[in-house]
Amino acid sequence: MPLEATMMIIDNSEYMRNGDYQPTRFDAQADAVNVIFQTKIDSNPENTVGIMSMANKGPEVLVTHSKDLGQVLQAIHATSSKVGGQIEIPTAIAIAQLALKHRENKNLRQRIIVFVGSPLEGAAADEKGMVKLAKKLKKNNIAVDIVCFGDGVEEPGADGKSVLKSFIESVNSGDNSHLLAVPPGPNLLSDALISSPILSADRTSSIPAELGGSGGDAGASGSGGGNQFEFGVDPSLDPELAMALRMSMEEAQAREAREQAGSSSTPQAAASGTSSGSVATVAPAAPVNLIDAEDEELKRALALSKEEDVDMDAQPASEARTAAAGDAAMDEDDDEEAQIARAIEMSMKQNEESSK
Amino acid sequence: MSTDESNAEVSLLQHLDLRQINCLNEAEHHTLKGIVESKNQNATGAYLLSDADEQLLLNIPFNQSVKVRAISIRSSSPEQAPKSIKILINRPALGFEDVEDADEPTVAQSLELSPEDVQEGKVLALRYVRFQAVNSLHIFVASNQGGGDETRIDAVDIFGTTVETTKSLSGLSKQEE
Repeated sequence: MPLEATMMIIDNSEYMRNGDYQPTRFDAQADAVNVIFQTKIDSNPENTVGIMSMANKGPEVLVTHSKDLGQVLQAIHATSSKVGGQIEIPTAIAIAQLALKHRENKNLRQRIIVFVGSPLEGAAADEKGMVKLAKKLKKNNIAVDIVCFGDGVEEPGADGKSVLKSFIESVNSGDNSHLLAVPPGPNLLSDALISSPILSADRTSSIPAELGGSGGDAGASGSGGGNQFEFGVDPSLDPELAMALRMSMEEAQAREAREQAGSSSTPQAAASGTSSGSVATVAPAAPVNLIDAEDEELKRALALSKEEDVDMDAQPASEARTAAAGDAAMDEDDDEEAQIARAIEMSMKQNEESSK
Repeated sequence: MSTDESNAEVSLLQHLDLRQINCLNEAEHHTLKGIVESKNQNATGAYLLSDADEQLLLNIPFNQSVKVRAISIRSSSPEQAPKSIKILINRPALGFEDVEDADEPTVAQSLELSPEDVQEGKVLALRYVRFQAVNSLHIFVASNQGGGDETRIDAVDIFGTTVETTKSLSGLSKQEE
């Protein structure tokens, strides 16, 4: 469960007025911010999230480390009337770093999430400078995720590299930083985020890996839709549901396996045919064993009583009588009569002794 | 430096607050935690390695106030051993930009380590008066002996005493009025 302080940098440049994402770029971004905030706060109660804008009159911190959704919503609402200007990624990241540095709980790891919906210009387009900044962030143990959409989606250069891609590669340490490009389309920006590696660590942290909790790779295939998933549901979209489905499947498999094992051990049952019959055969097996055990005990009791009978002659007569009575009570029908006969014989003997 | 240095040379590693300990620019699998976890001078094969460049910032918090008299830093690789270091106290929110250009008295002490110092892990006496109420010690490694991009530290040890606190209240009695 990542313990993190996150700073989100939102884009509020003129480019955000574009309507190629539903309903506008800015509102799609606001929705995505909401989703990230909720996911981060839900994944660990100690997590904090801050938010800042990076265009208009210059980067501005709107909310520092908070757990209050209201503050974030208010900040976004206030920013929606201040859309304008151009983004300054390097300055914004430097400010976010400063804001993160003064977090209250030093145990929180630092993360910056940058939304880029405008083309890179000026210092942000300078790959060398950006890589240098990335190295600095990495040195200070800060992870960076970049979500680019709209004009922020870069055309890769001749070598297949783009500025933001090399930036993420330089800042990445232990796969903690990601670049997500969301081209315009019918899918929501927030849906693409949910199934992306940016949030998968937070969403699946409470679910064990063998139940599909690993995330990451599943997210890569996300947002495509369709029915290529195991249960017709994208496990990264709803991890809890996926876990429940998988658990119920595993239980059913285990039950089938048990039934099969049961039917193979009792061949008569297999002959009877139906699988429901095999369940029934398991039950009688236990009583049979019980009866065996009872017989065993009975035999032992009998043997014991017989031994005592042998010893009885040496015992004082009164004790012998009670012992014999006990024996009689304990024994079962087959030699009950013999016992009674012996008891009568003994009591007679005793009578004779007492009369002497 | 005082003359009775030897009688109080207790390793303070056992008073570390391991949960809070951290190091900036450490490599993913060669962390500061790995070499102090045992709360003794590191004898395992683990070592601390720098990641992006040669600088390191070791943040070492204690679970009580201590007085630090001396430190020792050992590195088994002569080229990668730390050279110039700066030591600060009680600055929990420290970043590289704060210390890179800082000098005494902002930092408690700057040291230049010789190759012998680090190879054998020699005990280096600090300016005792500047380390009287230390809750956390921060060691900034600015450069290494070889000038390469990786700095390696095999063991760190800190010597000193814990600050005397009131051990027993039995000597106190209610004041007569």
